[in-house]
Amino acid sequence: MSVLARSIGNAFRNKVRTAAVVAVLAVAIGLALAMLVANQAVAGKVAELNASVGTVLTVNPAGGQGFEGGGEPLTAEQAATAAAVPNVSTVVGTKALRLRNAAEVAAQTGTQAGAGGPGGQGGAAGPGSQSATAVTTSLTAAVDAGTLGNRNQAATGSTGTSGSSTAPAFSVPVTATGIGAEVDTTGKALALTQGTGLGDYTAASTGALLGTTLAEKNGLSVGSTFTIKDQSFTVAGLFDAGTAFGNNALYLTLPTAQTLADLPGELSTMVVTVNSMENVDAAKTALQAALGTDKADVSQGQRNLQTAVSSLGSVKNISFIAFVAALATAGLIILLIMVMLVRERRREIGVLKAIGAPNRTIGLQFVLEALVLVAMGSVVGAAVASFASGGIASALISSNTATAAATTGRRGQGFPGGVPGGAGFPGGNPLGGANQLLTSVTASASPGVIAGGIAAVFGVAIIGALVPALLTARIRPIEVLRGE
Amino acid sequence: MIEVKNLVRTFKSGDRTITPVNDVSFELEQGTLASIVGKSGSGKSTLLSLLGALDKPTSGDVLVNGVSLAGMPDGQLTEYRRRDIGFVFQQFNLIPNLSALDNVMLPMEFAGIRKAARQERARHLLEQVQLDPDKHVRRINRLSGGEQQRVAIARALANAPKLILADEPTGNLDEQTGEHIIELLSSLSRNHNTTILVVTHDRSLANKTDRRFRLQQGQLTEEAARSRIAAASPA
Ligand SMILES: Nc1ncnc2c1ncn2[C@@H]1O[C@H](COP(=O)(O)OP(=O)(O)O)[C@@H](O)[C@H]1O
Ligand SMILES: [Mg+2]
Repeated sequence: MSVLARSIGNAFRNKVRTAAVVAVLAVAIGLALAMLVANQAVAGKVAELNASVGTVLTVNPAGGQGFEGGGEPLTAEQAATAAAVPNVSTVVGTKALRLRNAAEVAAQTGTQAGAGGPGGQGGAAGPGSQSATAVTTSLTAAVDAGTLGNRNQAATGSTGTSGSSTAPAFSVPVTATGIGAEVDTTGKALALTQGTGLGDYTAASTGALLGTTLAEKNGLSVGSTFTIKDQSFTVAGLFDAGTAFGNNALYLTLPTAQTLADLPGELSTMVVTVNSMENVDAAKTALQAALGTDKADVSQGQRNLQTAVSSLGSVKNISFIAFVAALATAGLIILLIMVMLVRERRREIGVLKAIGAPNRTIGLQFVLEALVLVAMGSVVGAAVASFASGGIASALISSNTATAAATTGRRGQGFPGGVPGGAGFPGGNPLGGANQLLTSVTASASPGVIAGGIAAVFGVAIIGALVPALLTARIRPIEVLRGE
Repeated sequence: MIEVKNLVRTFKSGDRTITPVNDVSFELEQGTLASIVGKSGSGKSTLLSLLGALDKPTSGDVLVNGVSLAGMPDGQLTEYRRRDIGFVFQQFNLIPNLSALDNVMLPMEFAGIRKAARQERARHLLEQVQLDPDKHVRRINRLSGGEQQRVAIARALANAPKLILADEPTGNLDEQTGEHIIELLSSLSRNHNTTILVVTHDRSLANKTDRRFRLQQGQLTEEAARSRIAAASPA
């Protein structure tokens, strides 16, 4: 009979107690592993968020944003300047237009005879809309004006009514954005649900990408045609932005939008991607300096997201602390159990010493016994963890993004606030697709993670068994043999 | 050959010091069966544990074939217990969840003897103490007291020690079983040339030994020597 065989036998001397010890160890080890897995999942998520969204800067005309504010529009030359700034990897220009339903515009101008000038442009020519241009379309908005739409429209005074107290029926415009790459106005890749992209986004094209609800409202699908400014466009694909506001929109290639607005080379915004997270702050400063504070406003689109990232970071820390705590608990359990077992077998240690057992053999015997217990606890615990960790990780992340959502507030929908339409103030679901991504994080335990966690428990078990066993073995045998 | 020289062991309990072993000296030739009698608490167990290196003397020395235990490092004392000493205790002190065979094999495992050799010798030793090695592979605590003590004796013989120290080996056994155990020890000392020192307070058992000592107030005195032949031959 070897030391190992004897240790295994000893581990099962008291079967009820062994079962209880293994169960408690399994819970602690399972929890520790689940926390480690959660920690990894969150760490992975943070890295992913940093990598994808965290490196995007948004450039708006100085003093203007979307259809609000004032100042001078951005130009193609400024895009070239931005692209030359160190650490800037890509610059994507956008040109936003507001499309009004042609039939409605005709009806409105009819009822408002004599209201010429900007009034003829429908709702788009308000005081703050230099960077966008209103044009007519065959499309009908997917959003009803409702209270907010009418209130917003009244606030912008855009109909140019001359003393008329009864405002005519108003409909929400459709936002058309010319984009220089297949990204939305926050620099995030478009989520196409049907069809294809527009190919070369820097060339004129009659293709368009429509939001799902907009296409549905107008009975359009991939391949259907519609008109903007009496020109025919073909639906090349459908996208889902995740919000009603975001889906009442369409995307064109940048030159197409600029041509439709009769403003070639003019940009509403520039989406600037920096090559790495560390360079974002420096690049932002450099970009602002290169473009001039009087010409452009550079903002860090993910500033708000950083709150999410930092709160995810705190989840990461909490889960790590919980991992350490659960591990320490497992260690404490095995430590106390081994102290108890050694005390209980003091006399036996004396007998082993009397018949010539070296201290190291006695130490080894208890270490192996502890390892047998921990091994069983780990196997059961790993099974528990593999069931629990996915749930724990997503619970941690989703509950955390709920708090993050509260703090991120008005994260850019691209046109914050001032859009006359049903979007109101963006912020209902500020993280949009990111939220979905976050909650869908399923913690998958890498073998290295599991091994690391278990190795730590084994380490504690070895010390927990060795210390009391050796302390007892070093006493003169007669003292333990005599008993108390 | 065991030489005990001016052995002293004192204990402090509170502010009182007791000296159960007070300047004890004697010698035992190899192969002697000796006994120590004395009242309970007279220090018999204390003396035995000093001889077996389970305890360290306050002063004095024990020499085993001329080698002094005093100042020997713990590692060597462990080796001394393993190689030169066999213990037999009043409470048997077998490892409860091991079989008889495994118990007897244990000291040989510590001595690094190969498994097959251990097993063969353990079976042989169990046969010597009149136990069936095949029958007694089962758990120790199902054996009777006499059987357990015989397993303990087989275990004490495992590494062929020079000296067997038996502390009241018959104390937990009935008279007849006790007699058997003493006879067993007696025949072992004769057949294996093993020195055996038995502590007992049973006079009739002590009378069967070659040399009889009495421990009283920490002092060891020897009673009149008897011849081995006289002790061995039935009246
Ligand atoms: N570790 C100890 N601490 C204090 N007193 C002890 C210790 N060991 C033994 N004694 C005392 O020494 C005396 C002799 O004990 P012991 O050798 O066990 O006697 P015996 O075996 O003859 O009955 C007793 O009075 C006992 O209480
Ligand atoms: Mg005693």
